[in-house]
Amino acid sequence: MGKQSDLLQGTLDMLVLKTLALGPMHGWGISQRIQQVSEDVLVINQGSLYPALYRLEQQGLIKSEWGSSENNRQAKYYELTRTGKKQLADETDNWERLSAAVDRILQTT
Amino acid sequence: MTKLSSALRSIFQKDRVERDLDRELSFHVEMEFEKNVARGMSPAEARRQAMISFGGVEKFKEESRDVRGGRLIESLLQDTRYGVRILLRNPGFTFVAVMTLALGIGANTAIFSVIYGVLVRPLPYKEGSQLVVIQQQAPLAHVDNVPFSVKEVLDYREQNQTLDAVVEHHSMSFTLLGNGEPQRVQTGVVSANFFDVLGVTPILGRTFVPADEEHGSDAVLVLSYKYWQQGHGGDPNIVGRVFQMNNRPHTVIGVLPPIPQYPVEQDVYMPTSHCPTRSSEQFMANRNARMMSVFGRLKPGVPVAQARADLATIAANLQKQYPDSYPSNQGYGAIASPLQEELTRKARPTLLVLLGTAGLVLLIACANVANLTLARLMRREREMAIRSAMGAGRGRLIRQLLTESTLLSITGGLVGLLLAAGGLQLLVTFAARFTTRSSEIRIDGFVLMFTLLISVVTGLVFGLMPAFSSDDHLAASLKEGGGRTTSSAARQRVRNMLIVAQVAVSFMLLIGAGLMLRSLIKLQSVSPGFDPERVLAMRISPNWSKVNSAEKVQQLFDRVLAKARSEPGVMSAGLASTYPLNQLGITFGPFNRGFQIEGQPIPDGELAPQADFRSASPGYFETIRLPLVQGRIFEEKDDDKALAVAVVNQSTVKHRFGSEDPVGKRISFDKGKTWITVVGVVGDAKQYGLEREPSDEIYIPLDQGGFAGNLLVRTSADPMSIARLMRDAVYGVDPETAVDRVQTLEQVRDDAVASPRLTAILLAMFAGLALVITGAGITGVMALSVSQRTHELGVRIALGASPARVLGLVMRQGMSFVLAGLAIGIAGALLMGQVMSSLLFAVQPTDPVTYLAVSLILMAVAAAACFVPARRVTSIDPMLALRSE
Repeated sequence: MGKQSDLLQGTLDMLVLKTLALGPMHGWGISQRIQQVSEDVLVINQGSLYPALYRLEQQGLIKSEWGSSENNRQAKYYELTRTGKKQLADETDNWERLSAAVDRILQTT
Repeated sequence: MTKLSSALRSIFQKDRVERDLDRELSFHVEMEFEKNVARGMSPAEARRQAMISFGGVEKFKEESRDVRGGRLIESLLQDTRYGVRILLRNPGFTFVAVMTLALGIGANTAIFSVIYGVLVRPLPYKEGSQLVVIQQQAPLAHVDNVPFSVKEVLDYREQNQTLDAVVEHHSMSFTLLGNGEPQRVQTGVVSANFFDVLGVTPILGRTFVPADEEHGSDAVLVLSYKYWQQGHGGDPNIVGRVFQMNNRPHTVIGVLPPIPQYPVEQDVYMPTSHCPTRSSEQFMANRNARMMSVFGRLKPGVPVAQARADLATIAANLQKQYPDSYPSNQGYGAIASPLQEELTRKARPTLLVLLGTAGLVLLIACANVANLTLARLMRREREMAIRSAMGAGRGRLIRQLLTESTLLSITGGLVGLLLAAGGLQLLVTFAARFTTRSSEIRIDGFVLMFTLLISVVTGLVFGLMPAFSSDDHLAASLKEGGGRTTSSAARQRVRNMLIVAQVAVSFMLLIGAGLMLRSLIKLQSVSPGFDPERVLAMRISPNWSKVNSAEKVQQLFDRVLAKARSEPGVMSAGLASTYPLNQLGITFGPFNRGFQIEGQPIPDGELAPQADFRSASPGYFETIRLPLVQGRIFEEKDDDKALAVAVVNQSTVKHRFGSEDPVGKRISFDKGKTWITVVGVVGDAKQYGLEREPSDEIYIPLDQGGFAGNLLVRTSADPMSIARLMRDAVYGVDPETAVDRVQTLEQVRDDAVASPRLTAILLAMFAGLALVITGAGITGVMALSVSQRTHELGVRIALGASPARVLGLVMRQGMSFVLAGLAIGIAGALLMGQVMSSLLFAVQPTDPVTYLAVSLILMAVAAAACFVPARRVTSIDPMLALRSE
């Protein structure tokens, strides 16, 4: 495992939304995907993941449905709603602005 | 919308939602497990790693649940169910807690219903807060309630700028014929618009209209609700019935609803023009013929202060205009006070003391239940630790404890409500001694809301005390196996503090009750100055329209007296204008008249000495055994043809004659026009209350003037047994003479101390309650402390301490808290005493006897309460105690 980083407050929601933008997925899949894509830098603590999922569902950004997993088990699949897509776009914009700003500061010598 | 549906789903499809959560999580763990197996771990290791990576499943399930809506309601339902279960499983604890709370809440509910009904609830009149009582005052003569004359009523009605209406009221008693025996009815004589100004709607018929008040109109009556019920059995066809009164037919036109009446309760009401006194030309023309009380209604938006200023201006003008009627040496003014205040003035201090007392009892009850809860919590520490380990946060645990305590307090509140409803009648009777509003006391929506409120607050108070005394020692207590743990020490401290507080508050309550009792004993041992034993008193009221001259009155009274004396069992009889401690006399106050002593002229502009003016027949002094001090008392020869004579009491001699011998001196009530010779001095009687100083009294013989409508007879047997005989004797003399207020002088004397007695009984009940609750609390705390120290005490005994020594050790520890409480209680009681001083008679609020007695009682009860559990230490078997570790 590579060096792990704590997630910034609120970024977990954005990562989950981004991951689900690729297609419906269950909780475990989401955590694996984030870990893989971040090359093990980001390890999602399950203790934060599921409450985050419920919270997002509560806010109407994602919806869930029971379906069969790749190995034929019953799993709960989450997918983005219309508002979720909009929210993701907004948050991505925000994030890019923020990280660009942080980058500029850090690169100023 | 989604939120709501999710919340509803969480509550109503709880099982499914929970199952979904389980399934989802187990899927996650499965996947993790498979991944680990695929990496080549053994299945067991793979599972272990999967679980570790997941973390605490239960804790996190709890967090996931929290995110969902409806969480609060759901957990509340769950807590309630669990709370009920756990309370039912501890019936002993639950019973004691519920009963303690029920007594505390019940006492408060009952007192509150009285306070609300009497002091707070708006008067049952239209916009009752706008109604004011107007009073004339003569401040320099120390008279703060001078009645009004007809001219004065008119002046204030016409000249004021701040009142919508000014109405008058006076009370007369007339004899009503046509309803069985002649009845003396207390009659309110009022302006025609009186009831309209009050905003009272009759329940039957109508009230007065201006035409009823015109001269020469037909005489009409409106009945009070109480008189209609008691005198006429609530006859629904009463309207239109005709009774004879004052030699005229009077027609009933209406019945009032049950409303508080001020200043006294009336049987019937009539318009001013039909009162023979009030409507006489002579009376109406005389500015100084004062008899009426006056009410007004403030104009909308006018504050009382403005009305007061307005009235003061009118008074100043009147004083300028008619200096003879308002002598400057007496001072003159007029004020307005809210009717509600006037109605409840006498009740307020007593009721507030009772409310304070009930509040303190509830505090003690709270402390006790908090203590019990703490003790139980110590035994539940393992449970709490497990719940915490299973994912319950601190807030969640506190919520659970609060739910349990609120359940207890609400149950206690319900039981308390029943207790309050049961005891309410007693309190209504009690309040009736202070105010005519007592009939309005009931348990209504407001009182129920109050009960609910104090129940919930009580639950939170005694629930939070234990909840916050537990710090984060839960994990520790689990590790140590739940025996003696660190948090126990903290809790024990809180429990000890609660005991100190309980003892302190109990002490204050006991002091309050003790002072009241001491005061009552003092009051009861006050000699009334006469001998009330075996004396019957009754009021006799001739039909004035037939017995309409002084001569006829004299004849009638002579015949009544002769007839009374001839009855078997009567030792002596007399007539008097009033008798000592007569309730009506107390209500209406002394009949003061100015007089002067021959040779002591009153300088111009100075107030004449005042004395309470009485008339009495021969036989009156002997009958009530008012002792003769000097000279002689009235004899049959003192009639209207003989020398005018008077008898004075010792108090008058002391205040007015000084060292001179009063017998043979002459006094005058009419500025020297006629003179009356003092022939005797009698002892002082407590005329207006046992707690009052005797007033200056001057008696004149009945046959030389005045009117004496009270017949008193001294009997050889139980006076009540000849009550019927005496009534018939009077009817035998004149069938149209009304007889009422038949009572023995012993009853009269008991009545005079009835309100302090009831106050003392109520306070003593509350204090006793507090003492019992506190005693139980001490026992509980000591029992737990002893059982926790069994090991330590066992070691001491094993090392050679004698059981007596160990017992002393435990007792000393227990009593040290009691002593601390006592010290705080003394400080509190000294502060509280000031509040009580207005209720006390001949007892200082710092009365050392009471303080000493109460301290001893409290110490004795506390020592007993400590001893019961402490005694157990003597039976500790050191070996067993040591082994139990």
